Amino acid sequence: MALLQISEPGQTPEPHQRKRAVGIDLGTTNSLVATVRSGSAEALAAEDGSVILPSAVRYSGAGVEVGLAARAAAGDDPYNTLISIKRLMGRGLADIKSFGEQLPYRFAEDRGGMPSIETAAGAVNPVQVSAEILRVLAKRGADSLGGALDGAVITVPAYFDEAQRQATKDAAQLAGLKVLRLLNEPTAAAVAYGLDKSEGGGDVADKTVAVYDLGGGTFDISILSLSRGVFEVLSTGGDSALGGDDFDRVIGEWMAAEAGLGNDLDAATQRKLLNAACAAKEALAQETVVPVAYGNWAGELSREKLAELLDPLISKTLRACKRALRDADLSAEDIAEVVLVGGSTRTLRVRERVEEFFAREPHADIDPDQVVAIGAALQADVLVGNKSREDLLLLDVIPLSLGIETMGGLTEKLIHRNTTIPVAKAQEFTTFKDGQTAMAIHVVQGERELVSDCRSLARFELRGIPPMVAGAAHIRVTFQVDADGLLSVTAMEKSSGVAAEITVKPSYGLEDSDITRMLQESYTHAEEDIAARALREAQVEAERTLEAMLVALTEDGAELLSEEELGALERAMEALRLAHNGGTAEEIHKRIESLNELSEPYAARRMDKSIKRAMQGHSLDEFDKP
Amino acid sequence: MELQQNHFEIFGLPVSYEVDRQALAARYRELQQEFHPDRFAAKSDREQRLSMQYAAQINEANNTLKDPVARAAYLLQLAGVEISPEQTTADGEFLMQQMILRERLEEVRDAADPEAELGELGDETSALFREQQRVFADALTANALDEAKSALLKLQFLGKLQRQIETLEEDLLD
Repeated sequence: MALLQISEPGQTPEPHQRKRAVGIDLGTTNSLVATVRSGSAEALAAEDGSVILPSAVRYSGAGVEVGLAARAAAGDDPYNTLISIKRLMGRGLADIKSFGEQLPYRFAEDRGGMPSIETAAGAVNPVQVSAEILRVLAKRGADSLGGALDGAVITVPAYFDEAQRQATKDAAQLAGLKVLRLLNEPTAAAVAYGLDKSEGGGDVADKTVAVYDLGGGTFDISILSLSRGVFEVLSTGGDSALGGDDFDRVIGEWMAAEAGLGNDLDAATQRKLLNAACAAKEALAQETVVPVAYGNWAGELSREKLAELLDPLISKTLRACKRALRDADLSAEDIAEVVLVGGSTRTLRVRERVEEFFAREPHADIDPDQVVAIGAALQADVLVGNKSREDLLLLDVIPLSLGIETMGGLTEKLIHRNTTIPVAKAQEFTTFKDGQTAMAIHVVQGERELVSDCRSLARFELRGIPPMVAGAAHIRVTFQVDADGLLSVTAMEKSSGVAAEITVKPSYGLEDSDITRMLQESYTHAEEDIAARALREAQVEAERTLEAMLVALTEDGAELLSEEELGALERAMEALRLAHNGGTAEEIHKRIESLNELSEPYAARRMDKSIKRAMQGHSLDEFDKP
Repeated sequence: MELQQNHFEIFGLPVSYEVDRQALAARYRELQQEFHPDRFAAKSDREQRLSMQYAAQINEANNTLKDPVARAAYLLQLAGVEISPEQTTADGEFLMQQMILRERLEEVRDAADPEAELGELGDETSALFREQQRVFADALTANALDEAKSALLKLQFLGKLQRQIETLEEDLLD
């Protein structure tokens, strides 16, 4: 019998080592990071013991401050202290002007309608600001888990459009995180509650649940069907610009009116009013009436008055609930359980009206501030390969229809809202003029008929179409939305088989070159230099690739590969190992690429084998029946 | 290799207009457990990409079989009958009936009780839809493809009307 191998504590040998994965809730008001340890998920605390990181970033001559200290400065230093930055993610300058009064920043145009904000430390864009918050959380995760993170799941509101999702992923990249998945917040909450399990821990039969998620700046409603570890989102809806901030705003406006202040308030006054409004709102969870004051004015706010002020906003959320139910072909009675998520569901009036609408008492036992991060941590643990809950699978949907612009400024929907992702749709286009070699496709997202009423996502330019007479070229364009809800487009001329070249111009997003530039900028005052980081990232990628290959080969290498193929793969692996141990980032990437290419047929055979296995138990004559 | 089975084969279901919704849902979840990109997040890039293609195809198959109109169109396609988007029914009587239903829909807002009128209209449309579903299923079983095609074109009409009714219902609720 072999001797037992015992390694030093914390140094379990590869590849059985537990991976370091975290779930991050990047919220409008607060952000959190959580991880799975000894089988259960917990939010991670900073050194001072606080779990919540206020999503506030303050720029000053002395540097960047994130969190509580930054938030405290918001009243006195409103232009340099950026809060609620999530509301600006993936948005254009024009969108921002429409809610400009609520965000007292000095906006400037960056590029192509993208906003940037003037601060004491220069101009910054929303992606950079979000990256600062993510950096703090990533560091907290790495410190707490004792090493660099292998990956993170980052949550986004279910109702985020493609541009908002892409901006979030860009921010994570900028913060040096490997994004395992962008996860919808309501889905994360459902996972955290483990609603697919009965009290005793066993599986329950299929049931339908609703997750009502009202955060600081966004509202989401999701209807999910749960069955043996599979969380299938049936429909989702919401408003990506409605949340507790709006509660504060209407209370603040009421206070300003009562106090006889004019409409034209400066940034500091606005901020102080909003802070007072927020404090009054929170105090009303315990008291039935609270005193409010601003300057020389003093008054009081009762629960009744609060309900009157908030009801129009809450009604808006319930209308979205109705629509989501309709999209799922269900009515409120079909919902077995309701979950409340988001700090704004602490407001009693919200609870009352949700309970009334669904005619059942909602779950709120997990801290509504932590529940999303905890769900994200559970999924991150599964995705990174730590087998905590092997059966857990999340099937999510695209929240808004994707379409293209056609003649006359109309949209033609290609992928309808609430379609399960990943999804691919092909569409054929033809040329309008003889000899035409290029065409432009404008992709929009939204439900309305007019392009001008939808959100512009990107313009794709197809080039390299073989010149033919008008209408002869058939260009097949495939729109693919991946499991993160992100879009990619490929094109092919059918008769010639020529792949058309595609240039993407995101309407409100960053191009790869922007990210590279911002990465470089972020290292001008950082201690590590960009080359060192690139090398480390390449090494991690190499380790990941080698490990995946090793696991695969152990499973079925001998079964699926000839000796010759196996030998070639092993040589490519050895070459990569050598590059990993002493090569440059570029050399490592080259080796990874060649190993990937060489293993392509093997990957296909493995997939093929999985298909055969999945088809087992279904006899062939089942397929033969007419 | 590609997932070359037709949509019914993917789910181990008989090629037929009648579909066991529960069996479809259960099989769908089983297949996604196997092929969803989440199952490949720690695997090689190539496997990740392949899994996305397979998962997308499984989703496409599921959506087609779940939807009564898309399923009918797909069955005809399997039988070699293609329907172009411009094609429309030539049944004069049916078209007349459609015009009357549409007129009623336009006048719903002015009705004394719009919700009740809309509900009635919805019920009538659903009954007509179910009737055409029966016609389609019978025609397909009898291999009467022209008749099946005519039923499909009517289903498309009625499906569109159903969606318009739902949209109006939503507007009335707000």
